[in-house]
Amino acid sequence: MTKEFLDAKARQPFEFYAAYYPPIYAGKKALTIEDLIDGLRKVDGFSVFYHVFHPVFSSHVIPYDLHNDFAFWIRDELHDPSLAYRVSDVEAVEPKTVEQVREDIINILEESDNKNKGKPFHFNTCRPVVFDTGIRAHSIGELIDILSNITMRSIVYHLVFRRVMGYAETNDFSAWLIREFQADKVAQSISMLDPQTYNSEEKLRSDILSTLEKVIFS
Amino acid sequence: MIEKYGEIIGESELDSVYKIAEKLKGISVLHVNSTPKGGGVAEILSKMVPMMKELGINTDWKVIRGDSEFFNVTKSFHNSLQNGVGNLPPSAFDIYNKWQEINSSEISTDYDVVFIHDPQPAGLIRFKRKGKWIWRCHIDISNPYPPVWEFLKRYIELYDSMVISSPVFGRDDLKLQQFIIPPSIDPFSIKNRDISRFTVERILRKFDVDPDRPLVTQISRFDRAKDPLGVIKAFKGLKRHIDAQLVYLGSPASDDPEGNIVYQETLKAAESVKDVHLLLLPPDSDLEVNAFQRGSDVVMQKSIKEGFGLTVSEAMWKRRSVIGGNTGGIPLQIIHGYTGFLVNTPEEATHYLIYLMRNEEVREKIGESAREHVKNNFLMIRELRDYLMTFALALQGK
Repeated sequence: MTKEFLDAKARQPFEFYAAYYPPIYAGKKALTIEDLIDGLRKVDGFSVFYHVFHPVFSSHVIPYDLHNDFAFWIRDELHDPSLAYRVSDVEAVEPKTVEQVREDIINILEESDNKNKGKPFHFNTCRPVVFDTGIRAHSIGELIDILSNITMRSIVYHLVFRRVMGYAETNDFSAWLIREFQADKVAQSISMLDPQTYNSEEKLRSDILSTLEKVIFS
Repeated sequence: MIEKYGEIIGESELDSVYKIAEKLKGISVLHVNSTPKGGGVAEILSKMVPMMKELGINTDWKVIRGDSEFFNVTKSFHNSLQNGVGNLPPSAFDIYNKWQEINSSEISTDYDVVFIHDPQPAGLIRFKRKGKWIWRCHIDISNPYPPVWEFLKRYIELYDSMVISSPVFGRDDLKLQQFIIPPSIDPFSIKNRDISRFTVERILRKFDVDPDRPLVTQISRFDRAKDPLGVIKAFKGLKRHIDAQLVYLGSPASDDPEGNIVYQETLKAAESVKDVHLLLLPPDSDLEVNAFQRGSDVVMQKSIKEGFGLTVSEAMWKRRSVIGGNTGGIPLQIIHGYTGFLVNTPEEATHYLIYLMRNEEVREKIGESAREHVKNNFLMIRELRDYLMTFALALQGK
């Protein structure tokens, strides 16, 4: 049964794209929590994506115990670890978008009475440069094989970017699994991963794979 | 040349460079700067231009002309943009404009993308006829001398976008897009490639440095921004605890009268400190730089003002623990406590020198993270990919 499920051919293959997000200065700096809130209200969604979700890439080094750039700055410059951890652990599980994440972070920050001033936080934004990897999955088995070694740039593009930026309601993998195979349970298991709590791309990859394995072979 | 990076960054990362380049096949790109050799920009372009050609992009590199009067003006521009204070020759702006006009008549800029490096040729934008023009700023413009910045800004605003090395150099008074692209090192150059332990020791001994005793090195011009006196002071502090040696390696700069003054000051400060080697070597002493970085237990870059400080990445690539000044682009490279240590004072530098000298396992751990950080962020292949993406975004909807 599992074999048939994994090898069944899709009408439309899954097309793997990938993206890089060249950073662009967003024209805003913050010295205090108040400035950070003000900046967060004004920057575009790409900026929130950059600072909250981009740290999953190994090229974006932040200390391993924090999940996003805001938290890092709050701890190191404003010397407020407690607030830093709350901002670090903001939820972003599906179907949350960057706009909801932005609101959640602002709400956490507004509860703070921290008046410290640190070296400036520089808001960056970004624009995606998307390219076709040329790789296609024709079955769930192939999808899983490809997920185990394709560039994480592709996984994050389909799992995170398109969904949190509002280009799709659900991540592309889950959407394809439902559309092609009505594999709701498998799709749901991927949807339940919270990408913003990862700052190691390989850990995210291995969690996706073990989640799929658990559901499919259970 | 590009293929070689596959061994370092992996096939899929390399593949993405080709995939992005495919979108740009056939476009023409012109780089313009002010010197064919010497300095970081020329060093990068000498590698970057052939790599772009290899990817099927019609890339040319042209160098502007100028007399000594013009280069005196642009040198004072450079200093006043970085230091916030100015000392301009009379008629500086007229001299600058005159040479932009001369160069515009000699350099054809009929390309799809024109990439202008640094302030010296920035005024060529006045003569733009076609294409997308991008200004690549390699220096710190966070606190410029206002008259020079206001003059230059009128030109910068005419560009389609600009590139800065770090978000800390971002300008709030400009409307154009400011891409953030840090510079990079070439891991295959003489300065950075693997060399044998024999070569390292041979070169250390040649300069009377004992390879068997602890060694601290700073590779820098004799420039107050690099804080040579602070380096001597920090080393003096270390010397009270550990019998170490210091090498401060710089190159004489004939066009920098201040260089000799600072060298003399440093010499005087080092007079009473044992085991300080102040070396003045020719600018192309790449093998010596490589050897001293590899032969050191700790490398310092204790700048108090820094555009980017690529000597930091050079040493990190060699798995060295680096103590860097908390300024400019250095914090992009050194994540304090993870890929090195950032310091604000000579006393802080002394503290981390002692800490690192006493803990070999910390040095090794930091060295590994440092190498990984440079691999992911500061190799030339990444800078090439960033430039390609900047072109792609600039040309969108052209």
